[in-house]
Amino acid sequence: MLIQTLLIAAVVLMFVIFATRWNTAGVRAWKRLAFLAFCVVNAYAVLRPGDTTRVAHFLGVGRGTDLVLYFLVVGVTGLALNTYLRFRSLEQRLTELARDTALRTAHRPEADAPAAADRTPALVPSEGNPTGDHR
Amino acid sequence: MTAIASARSGISHLYDDVWLITPVYNEAQVIGEVVTEALQTFPNIVCVDDGSRDESAQRIEGTGAHLLRHPVNLGQGAALQTGFEYALAQPGGQYFVTFDADGQHRVEDVESMLKIARESGADVVLGSRFLTRGEDIPWQKRVVLRTAAAVSPTARKLGLSDAHNGLRLFNRAAASRLDITMNGMAHASEITGFLARSGLRVVEAPVAVRYTEYSRAKGQSLINGVNILFDLSLNRRSS
Repeated sequence: MLIQTLLIAAVVLMFVIFATRWNTAGVRAWKRLAFLAFCVVNAYAVLRPGDTTRVAHFLGVGRGTDLVLYFLVVGVTGLALNTYLRFRSLEQRLTELARDTALRTAHRPEADAPAAADRTPALVPSEGNPTGDHR
Repeated sequence: MTAIASARSGISHLYDDVWLITPVYNEAQVIGEVVTEALQTFPNIVCVDDGSRDESAQRIEGTGAHLLRHPVNLGQGAALQTGFEYALAQPGGQYFVTFDADGQHRVEDVESMLKIARESGADVVLGSRFLTRGEDIPWQKRVVLRTAAAVSPTARKLGLSDAHNGLRLFNRAAASRLDITMNGMAHASEITGFLARSGLRVVEAPVAVRYTEYSRAKGQSLINGVNILFDLSLNRRSS
């Protein structure tokens, strides 16, 4: 059926595009155009509900409402995927930032050398590691 | 500085080229003791405090370990990667060992892993709880870990008996190529995946794990396995 081909193709296409080049300028522009089209079609469907049914019949769907629902599912999938990828990219940037801060503010043991030097002889066992492995 | 070096050189010159990398998250109860004990054998330890909300960082300061602090909590994988980058940037490091903060790993196991690496020339030595009897492992844990090793394609390819042991040793070449991007707990699978693809020489060494009351309470829950699988499957898609 036409509608099945259409929906499956849409989902597959979405996954491929998101997986390969999510967030290039071109894809970003298409996402915005798709959103705009989505709004326009919505407004049209509200104003002329009869037309959605006609398009639905043409595509092999019983009711216009069902057609709208199907496209909504595809839309939500795209939204979820987009949000996930955006969060991941944010997380990666946050990680780089935090890592950079951690490396810059490293606390080296030389900083508390006097204390460590005082204590070190007491901590040094004569041979091997007699403390602690029996807990 | 020279005072410390000379005080320690008597016992630790053997391990001057070794770095222990310890991710720390809310381990104030035990971290001081764990680090102090390990420092008796290994002079170079870098603790990465992963945004702990308790006193972990204060416990580490003054022990003689290097301390890095993530300003926010990112996850164990991220902390390990930060530790690797720091240790690799210090002069003289040849071996890099990931060592848990909760006291479940034993210093003498690290020593035997180093011996294996030096004698066999392996790039990576992974600790395994299952090469010896491993009778002290709680049975639920044993079932889960053995299943994880059996169903993981990468663990099978490498012939690993224990895919999720936190005790791992990398030589400089292996550590330089490692790039952990999975911030959370999925890094364990990410590391085995990397090793399987890398062509590095990987061997396993028998280690024991001290399942204390404390480490048991801190351990991975089964349900978290779902999170790990989810992270991994989506990571493959988006990278």
